[in-house]
Order: sequence, then structure tokens, then C-alpha cells
Amino acid sequence: MKVRKTVELAFLMGAGIVLQITESFLPISWILPGFKIGFANITGLFALQMYGISAMWLVNLGRVFLACLCQGTLFSVAFWISLAGSLLSMIGMSMAYKMKCFSIFGVSVMGAAMHSIGQVLMVTWIYQQYFMQLFLPVLLALSIVSGLCTGWLTQLLMKRWKGRNV
Amino acid sequence: MSLKKADKLLIVALMILSLVLLIPLFRNAPQSGLAKVYVKDQEVLSIDLSQDALYSVEGTNGEVEIEVNDHQIRVTQENSPHHLCSKQGFVSDPNTPIVCLPNETVVRIEGGTGQDTMIQ
Repeated sequence: MKVRKTVELAFLMGAGIVLQITESFLPISWILPGFKIGFANITGLFALQMYGISAMWLVNLGRVFLACLCQGTLFSVAFWISLAGSLLSMIGMSMAYKMKCFSIFGVSVMGAAMHSIGQVLMVTWIYQQYFMQLFLPVLLALSIVSGLCTGWLTQLLMKRWKGRNV
Repeated sequence: MSLKKADKLLIVALMILSLVLLIPLFRNAPQSGLAKVYVKDQEVLSIDLSQDALYSVEGTNGEVEIEVNDHQIRVTQENSPHHLCSKQGFVSDPNTPIVCLPNETVVRIEGGTGQDTMIQ
């Protein structure tokens, strides 16, 4: 890995950690338990568009681990739910990216939808409670909105990034 | 914002999927005759929903009063900071338990069928 790429990925990971922790302060999840926009995924999407699939996996996995370490929730229930959501979302985004027919919005919506599916599956598995699945249709519908939102923000970011160095 | 055709297809597919997943929730309201009360994960009371009656169990913060009326069940009185479980009102759906965390008490209607919702 070139030094430039290393540094840029490290910056992205750092930005992702800040976004994830800041977002946990926002009261948006009062709308529905488990719902959030997922601003932290902007960095993952950005890495995917700039450097490809392996860079996104690196940035997102590192972000989940380090953000949970900073918040003191490493290996707690919240961490496993978060990890399951990001793993499924990254699998979804990698597949959508490889298919080449999606724009950045499609990849982002796919990631958001898979994230909510992963979270609901993990909650069901951990708590052995099936009532969380009641939220899944609503979460899926809202993930379209949040996926478009993060996709749009990433597109704005990429427009500004064009032709610039760190 | 420039959506490709595949993006629009994905969004429409997700909308349809979320609507389809909603259907079993509306149809799935089996009449059940049994509610169970758990305190600290221990089953303490089994309630017959066909008889209107008042029950009371010992929660962590004191008495939890439970009322059964017309196949529905609710918590009428309990000691807790926000009284979330008594504000929840009557419940008749196996998918929705009444949870009173300060009292570590859960009231759940037993589902008639084995599964609640299918996820594919």
C-alpha cells in the first residue's frame, strides 16, 4: 500500500469514527428504535468509490471496532449488533458495486437496507425475541431514505474532492 | 441527483418488500387464551384471558396490578419512574409484550402458532 493511500484511508477511518460517535448523540433514533441515518457510512462509500472494495472493508471494520472501543462498548451487545449490521451491509455494497449497474445511490441504498436486516437478525438471535421483526418493514422503508441521503452526501463529497490531495 | 434505472428498480423492489413484510403482521392476530407473567425471567403467573379478573404480582419495586378485560390485558398500577407499562394500555397481540423494566416484569400473551413473522 502506498503511503498516500494509507494516510487517506486512516483519515477516512478517523472521520468515520467521529461521525459514528456524533451520530449516537443525535436523538433521531427516538422515531423508531434502531433507526439512524448512518452518516458514518459516508466514509465507507467514499473509500469504495475511490479505492475499491477492500478499502471499504478496511475502513468500515476499523471504524466499527475503534468507535466501539472509544465509546467503551467493545464486545457488548450493541457492538455485536453494530458489527452484524455493517458486515451484511458491506456484503451488500460489495455485490452492488461489482454488478456495475448501480450508481452510488443504488450501492448506498443496498448498504442501508442490508444494515437494517443484519441488525434485526442479530437482535432476534441475541434476545430470542421475535417482536423486533415487526420493525423490519418500517426500517426497510426508512433505509431507502437514509441510503439516498448518505449517497447524496458522498456524491457531494466526491465532487469537492476531485483533483485534490490531502 | 441522477438515479440509474437499476437504482430505481432497487428502490421500488425494497418498497414492495417492506409492504409484503407488513402483510403477515395484519393477518397474524391469533386469538390466544393464555398470558404469562414473568418476574426476573421466572414465570410467576399464568392468566386465563377468557375470564375478566384482576391479578397482582410482586415486582422489584412492589406490587404490579394486572387487569384482564375482554381478552385483553393491561398493567393498571405499578411503581416506576415513568409508568411506561401502565401507559401502554390494553394489549391483545402475542407480538407485543408489556415490559416493565424497573419492576423486571414482563407480561406476554402466548402465541397460538409457532411463528410470528417470516423473514426471507
